[in-house]
Amino acid sequence: MAAEPRRSRAARLRASVPRLSQFALEHLLLLPLGAGIALIWANIWPESYFQTSYAAAFAINDVAMVFFFALMTKEVVEATAPGGVLHPWRRAWLPVIAAIGVATIPAWLHTNLVDYFDEPMLVSGWPVAFTIDVALAYFVARLVFGPRHPAIPFVLVLSIAADALGFVALAITDPTPFRPAGLAGVVVAMAVAGGLRRSGVRSFWPYLAGPGTLSWIALLWSGLHPALALVPVLPFLPHAARDPGFFVDAPEGARDTLSQFDRVCRYPAQAALFLFGLINGGVPLHAFEAGAWALPVATIVGRPLGLLAGVAFARAIGMHMPHRLSWRSLVPLGFATASGFSVGLFFTTALIPPGQLRSEISMGVLITAVLGPVLALVTGWLTKARYGEGPAPDA
Amino acid sequence: MPDRRPPDRPWPRRSRLAIAAALGLVATLAAQSLPLPNTPGSLKFAAIGDNGTGDTEQYQVGQQMTALHKTFPYDLVIMLGDNMYGGQSPSDFVRKFERPYAELLKAGVIFRASLGNHDRPENVNYKLYNMEGQRYYSYVRGNVRFLALDSTQVDQKQLAWLEATLRDAKEDWKVPYFHHPLYSNAARHGSSVDLRVLLEPLFVKYGVDVVFSGHDHVYERVKPQKGITYFVSGAAGQLRRGNMRPDPNETAGYFDQDQSFMLVEVSGDQMNFASIARSGKVVDSGMIRRQARGTAQGAGEEDRVPVVTGGNDDGR
Repeated sequence: MAAEPRRSRAARLRASVPRLSQFALEHLLLLPLGAGIALIWANIWPESYFQTSYAAAFAINDVAMVFFFALMTKEVVEATAPGGVLHPWRRAWLPVIAAIGVATIPAWLHTNLVDYFDEPMLVSGWPVAFTIDVALAYFVARLVFGPRHPAIPFVLVLSIAADALGFVALAITDPTPFRPAGLAGVVVAMAVAGGLRRSGVRSFWPYLAGPGTLSWIALLWSGLHPALALVPVLPFLPHAARDPGFFVDAPEGARDTLSQFDRVCRYPAQAALFLFGLINGGVPLHAFEAGAWALPVATIVGRPLGLLAGVAFARAIGMHMPHRLSWRSLVPLGFATASGFSVGLFFTTALIPPGQLRSEISMGVLITAVLGPVLALVTGWLTKARYGEGPAPDA
Repeated sequence: MPDRRPPDRPWPRRSRLAIAAALGLVATLAAQSLPLPNTPGSLKFAAIGDNGTGDTEQYQVGQQMTALHKTFPYDLVIMLGDNMYGGQSPSDFVRKFERPYAELLKAGVIFRASLGNHDRPENVNYKLYNMEGQRYYSYVRGNVRFLALDSTQVDQKQLAWLEATLRDAKEDWKVPYFHHPLYSNAARHGSSVDLRVLLEPLFVKYGVDVVFSGHDHVYERVKPQKGITYFVSGAAGQLRRGNMRPDPNETAGYFDQDQSFMLVEVSGDQMNFASIARSGKVVDSGMIRRQARGTAQGAGEEDRVPVVTGGNDDGR
């Protein structure tokens, strides 16, 4: 009699660990591993850490991270195909509208909290409060709600939309002088990529070598972040007719260009993520001033509030909540999306030069990456958010 | 026990007069024994950091500075950041800056600020900080080029400006000052190594002799590092009592038992300094002789051996 519940608990535990793609799993391991090593290194041998970090910053943040953002874009592109969370677009409107609250309320809280913490210089970090780590939010939401809960596609669209808003905020506030003419180069790159697709080019290498390189140079010259170089190019790569699923490895037999790209670029992206954590996660612990709490408090408190406000607004203008997504479940969902982690650290390095502000904002990002998932799991358990074993309601 | 009565609720008039007289007497006695040459025509300046609390201690430091100004007539005060804590409305500027240093301002003393993490970015426009609306700027007084930096955000543009300014400087002395210390042995913050990696190579390359910072709410004089003497003077309003963890390899002098500020005199190749406690007591003093160098830039490591003399009479 006693063995049955034990087996049942073990089975539930196994089932609660989502089956993710190798990329997503390694994203969740390699980035924290890099950041963890960096934290130790920066606090034991700070001089060698910062010399290495500054020397490698351009190669990692501006070049290698191209592959990370490319793979994230690949997920979004596939999600627009039939079966994807962004197909049809109409289905995505509610989380897109909610993303406005999810992004702006934490940012607004941040700008006010920095005064409370008496560190007004930190106000410049507000775009970091927009960011959501898509893979981390997805992983935590699957743990909290179960793999087939309608909260999962909801959280994906929400995170993508909030990050998109964040990139707009980043472009507006980036202190690097902006040359709009540089965007013409990006447009040309997109046109060339479109031409390659129309010509039936199936290998992804010409897309990378031609339009990808041109887009990188154009973004760098224009003052926008070149790590996003493949974001406007990837949508032109031929992809599978149906979305294999978010963070699902491309099947071995898949011969479409985007899947080939996924298989080859997965490893550079993983290396980039580890190195990104390593060179950007090293925060001197003596920089841990009260102001470092402004971002975690803003996102931990602001994300559920923003989500509730955003969904309430969407409902008020006539949109409907997904089936079985209750108001109560928005609280753990808000905590699941609290952390910007990879994107948050990326914004921090892009926006804030070395010094105390960067250290404090980076520390805030790292704190949130720990607190957000913990609170999501606790509130998910308290609100009994998780599905039982059974068919998905919308399956 | 220092009094913490807020300045907007002052002592009764009779008590104020008595306190002022007592402080004036102490300051006069202290000034008479200031270990500075006080040479006519030399450049004299004061350094304050982390001052803008608006508390009684800041006012008492201000009174001490005013008293010493009478016998050591400096006409410049460099501000090492965190010039204001908490609210930063116009009335705060009065309470936390204009009133504590009213006599100095009236006497024509110029304050030149750098900003710290507690200052608002828009404070660069506050007229009496004389920042020319810039986060970082430089100016010349006598044979000294001062460089006020923004250590809260050290971007490539500022680094390029710093290098160009140091390279082109013709003055004998180049004195950068900013908020975050490249070397500090206070427990709360300590050295900002992330900034040291960026700034120190430029300071060494272009022959900087002395650097002033705040941030840690103590006073510390660091032994010359690669030929440069670093001062931490972040206790002109705030104080973190007993926070120093002196490192025998780095710390040359320190004081962490009371608020303090610095007086400095530059004459030719010689810079004399004194760190003075709120009570008027001199807690550290000494002299730095400028490094021998053929040209403004490219001084070899072997040439970078400044003569620094000085010592605490009572570190703790």
